[in-house]
Amino acid sequence: MANITNGTAGFYQRSVNEMAGLRRGAENLQTQISTGERLTAASDDPVAAASLRRLSRMDRLAEVDSANASRARNDLQIADGALQTMANDFARARELAIYAANGTLSADQRALIGAELAGIQNSLITSINTRGIGGNALFAGQGDGPAYTVDAAGNALYTGTATAGTLSLGEGLTVTTGITGPEALNFVGPGGPTDILTFIKGLADTLQNTALDGAAAARSSLSGFDEALESLTRAQTVIGVRVAWIETVQDRQTVSSEARAQETADQGEVDLATTISNLQQMLTVLGASQAGFVRIGQLSLFNSI
Amino acid sequence: MATDLINIGQTGANAARSALSVTAQNIANANNPGYSRRTIELAEVTATGGVGLMGDSRMSGVRVDGIGRSTSTFLQVEARRTGSDLARAEVQLAGLKAAETSIEQAGVYPALVEFEAGLAALAADPLSAQLRAQVLENARTLSSSFSLAVQGIDSTAGQARFAASDDVSQVNVLTAEIARTNAGLARAQDGSVSKAALLDQRDTLLANLAQRTGITTEFDAAGRATVRLGGNAGPLMVSGEVSDTLALTNNADGTISFTLGGNPVSPGAGSLAGQAQLLDRLGGLRSELDLVAAGVIARVNNAQANGVAPDGSTGQPVFSGTGAGDIAVSLASGAGIATAPAGSPANSRNIGNLTALQSSLANGGPTSAMDGLLFALSSEISSRSVTRDALATIAGSAASQLSNETAVDLDNEAANLIRYQQAFQASGRVIQTAADIFDTILGIR
Repeated sequence: MANITNGTAGFYQRSVNEMAGLRRGAENLQTQISTGERLTAASDDPVAAASLRRLSRMDRLAEVDSANASRARNDLQIADGALQTMANDFARARELAIYAANGTLSADQRALIGAELAGIQNSLITSINTRGIGGNALFAGQGDGPAYTVDAAGNALYTGTATAGTLSLGEGLTVTTGITGPEALNFVGPGGPTDILTFIKGLADTLQNTALDGAAAARSSLSGFDEALESLTRAQTVIGVRVAWIETVQDRQTVSSEARAQETADQGEVDLATTISNLQQMLTVLGASQAGFVRIGQLSLFNSI
Repeated sequence: MATDLINIGQTGANAARSALSVTAQNIANANNPGYSRRTIELAEVTATGGVGLMGDSRMSGVRVDGIGRSTSTFLQVEARRTGSDLARAEVQLAGLKAAETSIEQAGVYPALVEFEAGLAALAADPLSAQLRAQVLENARTLSSSFSLAVQGIDSTAGQARFAASDDVSQVNVLTAEIARTNAGLARAQDGSVSKAALLDQRDTLLANLAQRTGITTEFDAAGRATVRLGGNAGPLMVSGEVSDTLALTNNADGTISFTLGGNPVSPGAGSLAGQAQLLDRLGGLRSELDLVAAGVIARVNNAQANGVAPDGSTGQPVFSGTGAGDIAVSLASGAGIATAPAGSPANSRNIGNLTALQSSLANGGPTSAMDGLLFALSSEISSRSVTRDALATIAGSAASQLSNETAVDLDNEAANLIRYQQAFQASGRVIQTAADIFDTILGIR
């Protein structure tokens, strides 16, 4: 006879296993609710874990990109301010040149104007050597020293590199982080290609030398002033465009970061409503299973003997 | 006639008392996992007819024929086989999970990302001493997280080797015990209590052995077990009263192999197979980690060699070492990081070389290799968990069926208790009846 019985030890073992399984499930849900994270180890959901890993990497790099963008923007704004100062100084220099062109002035008076022009040239050199937040000369391209140095004769010489550096803003976007001194200052004057500093120094030297015909020099320089101012304005426009580009990129970064946050929430965060209701369901089942176990455990034929 | 009746009643009472002892024994062993429920086998005692005694109705009661033992060879084999598979899967899964935890906690991937982030920040201000120092610190964190991950894997592998060597000595103890039990079985009488106890012991030993290695068993008429490692054609572990010794060899590459009586064998299932397969995988994992580390070392050091540091000198290697185990930062100061391309003057803010390094790290570089490694490991664990759960269900149902067949059911035993008690009382009444009859006969005058 196949005497199939219901082993007592087996009954207890099975009941304990089932209740332990339910309890483990409930504790797992409780952990998810209290940490707010769906995954405790990557193996819980390998695909979601891999996405979360990549998202966290993109987030971290985007953080740096965003800091870099702000920094580049600040540098460009400082450069813009410096160009504005130079444009103001330059306007004053042009007024002085118009004065000097007046034939009724004496040579000494022109020499005084020349001295003031020499002062303006110094101020321009200071402005063009403005340094950014990181201590880098803003108009020196990729060089670390000042953009222009003044030699013994007072001539300003460009010592930076030919091009400005570019900076990655993430997602394959880059921005040129500044403009070089020659890009802002070089123009084609009445006497051929020159730069603003040389141009003003030439005029100042001529006016200060009373033996020369300062009025004629000042008159012929006036068209040069217009060209030079245009060069400065052009540089300011370029910088303005770059700042606007960085702002666009920053907007884009904000949008991307929101999308990433949403994606992270979808992949790795706990949906509280569902999880709490699952936990409640599991606790109900566990409670019922425990009550059932106690009732069945009390049933023993020995109680009736 | 009346004395016959007394004898019959006496044998009945004796049988009922033996049956009650068996019931009591069953109740006492209700929680003993290695115990198979005992049954009592009874046989009628009658005088077989002789010459002139044909048709004689002389009956002599009942006797205990033997103590039976509920068992099912098929279910035993099934429980052992599924138990072996489950033990293998569990050992492997536990080891892989430990490796996953140690690699994740070592934080190699976040360290790689931090290193990339440090380089990206340096791009904004390539000559900043602070940012350079930060990159170097990130490199240090990276190299120590590689070391941590390797230590984690090595310690998991060490534990697996330790557990395997412990299992091997257990296996040898168990096979020797089985051989000894075989010797006992050869001498024990069929149907005796000691035979049933020896068979219980044999099955417990075989179940324990199956937890550690895959086995195939055959039993002879006396119940002696012949144990083979692996399948039907596997090498003999126990034959009669002789057992072969299993030995473990630690190979140079960190894996383990086994020999039985000097011949190479593979356990196939059980925790030993689990440890061996786990160690193979851990070795693979370690070399993958080495590859990632070697990728970092090669890319960063190559970039250094292609660029110039702020002092105008050619960049020196940042990392020393060849793999995850020995990677270390060899650059003394952040000032040695070559951000500018070759040919740049001193103090150049040109970040050409830095950008090249960044893109070589980003595109299919170590970060994505590490991501791939983690993904492969975690999906392997995930799929192995599914396999383990399936095996656990199968093994659980096999164990449950076996326990239904062999374990003690207290309700059943309570019923038996009443049944045999009644039988005992009835036999007592038979003796009393016989005495009454005898008294009646004596009283005739």
